[in-house]
Amino acid sequence: MTFKIPFGPQHPALEEPVNFMFEIEEERVVNVKLRLGYVHRGIEKIAESRNYRQLVYLSERICGICSFAHALCYSQAVEELLGLEIPERAKFIRTILAEMERIQNHYLWLGLTAKEMGFETLFMYAWRDRERIIDMLDMISGKRVHYGMSTIGGVRRDITESMIGKIEESLNHLEARAEYYTKICTEDPSILKRTVGVGILRPRDARALCAVGPTARASGIARDVRTDEPYAAYGEIPFRVVTYRGCDVASRMYVRIDEIKESIKIIRYALKNMPEGSIRVKAPTRVPEGEAISRVEAPRGENIHFIKSNGSDRPERWKIRAPTLANLLSLCKMLSGVNLADIPVVIAGIDPCISCAERIALVDAETGKLNVWDGKDLWRYANEWYRKRYGL
Amino acid sequence: MRRSEIRKQLRIRARNIIVQRDRRFFVNIEKKDLKRVIRRLIRMKNYTHLSTITALDTGSNIEVIYHVAFTDALVSVRVQTSKDDPVLLSIVDLIPGAALYEREIHDLFGVEFEGNPDLSPLLLPDNWPEGVYPLRKWWSPDRILSKLGGK
Repeated sequence: MTFKIPFGPQHPALEEPVNFMFEIEEERVVNVKLRLGYVHRGIEKIAESRNYRQLVYLSERICGICSFAHALCYSQAVEELLGLEIPERAKFIRTILAEMERIQNHYLWLGLTAKEMGFETLFMYAWRDRERIIDMLDMISGKRVHYGMSTIGGVRRDITESMIGKIEESLNHLEARAEYYTKICTEDPSILKRTVGVGILRPRDARALCAVGPTARASGIARDVRTDEPYAAYGEIPFRVVTYRGCDVASRMYVRIDEIKESIKIIRYALKNMPEGSIRVKAPTRVPEGEAISRVEAPRGENIHFIKSNGSDRPERWKIRAPTLANLLSLCKMLSGVNLADIPVVIAGIDPCISCAERIALVDAETGKLNVWDGKDLWRYANEWYRKRYGL
Repeated sequence: MRRSEIRKQLRIRARNIIVQRDRRFFVNIEKKDLKRVIRRLIRMKNYTHLSTITALDTGSNIEVIYHVAFTDALVSVRVQTSKDDPVLLSIVDLIPGAALYEREIHDLFGVEFEGNPDLSPLLLPDNWPEGVYPLRKWWSPDRILSKLGGK
């Protein structure tokens, strides 16, 4: 018998709520259909009536977690249209901020995924460590979430000598913690049971479906904008693109934990080699006619902005493609064939923040009987299932 | 990647290939050549993925730009389709990852993609009135609002 299960969409905490219609046979997902748009805010339409300076703030509010990545991507596109060359120091500060955001995002993700597995201690640990990096972002920018750091022509605040010591102290702590999480995630039997071999995305499918970011890198594809098209100061900083070949949720976890370690190294290098000088140049309000495409490796993958200017102070068109949209098709592929109990952890695997979706309704296809589940029910079901089966 | 390589592979006139800057190429093509060009383009060395598809309202036309990513460049293939009959061939058979981008443009610009098996609404609600394409310039926020029965 085939069941149809609508999963999602609403949850106020998500920046990209998604509705999945699952077709379930026994306990296996056989088909997935996707529906977006529940918080479509029409940012691209709003942009037509705002000037370039106002849009810096709007770009930051596209996403709450990778806000800096969007602001950076937007600023770079406008700078290209203006033909502005930004100071070297600003490039380094941008790189540091982008990597701090990556660390922050990956700790957040680790915590959420642990929670989906019912491993609440790890969730608390990861989020406690995330506070350390958020405190550093707060110290530099004065804000915890929307940093307001990137602007057209550079950055708005400098990183001073006194900050560097504190940042290094936090980095040492976070590095030790990342080592600890590597140990837990490779040894803990309940984590291994829940993640190894779950939510497979073969490299062939990842390529065909144009997966980006850690999702692609966990399928062995070394796809990273930072090396393919170095922006900010990435061209001057040595780093490794982390890839794993497991193609499952476990690999996605290892990729992200290793990326935290890599980001820490990048920040250390950037702090040490940061040139002296000014942090921004003055930018004109009118932007000459033209088109610019800017790409940035956001914590979740490739972020691309396209701006067409008509010579006024407002863009003719501003197109944004955030990494989650690129990864949704891959997610559908991963989900077909998985067990009902694995849905939350597989969805969490691509880092879309939709795994805590509000409602789930079980519709019996033959009798039309409707059982409405909320996210908690699915979570309880999933953890009960594993407990009964494996005694975890 | 060099301009001559693209020209050789795509077999199109050199003036239709615009080098915007280092790593940025724009290729202007006719609507009928779209699939042939994309098919040849993704066979090139260093092809990674389709980054996204952008649509623009240029007045009488809808301009659709396919951003194809390579490890050493980003090639943007630009094609025009008239606003009265906005139909393009779908490229999902060549790049399955294009499915959502095509659906998005179908929603917001009303471009039909022949051959895409699922063009059901992706972003717009089920009760969205027909013929309202929110990102076309004519549909100002006020017009959309009055069509939807707002003030």
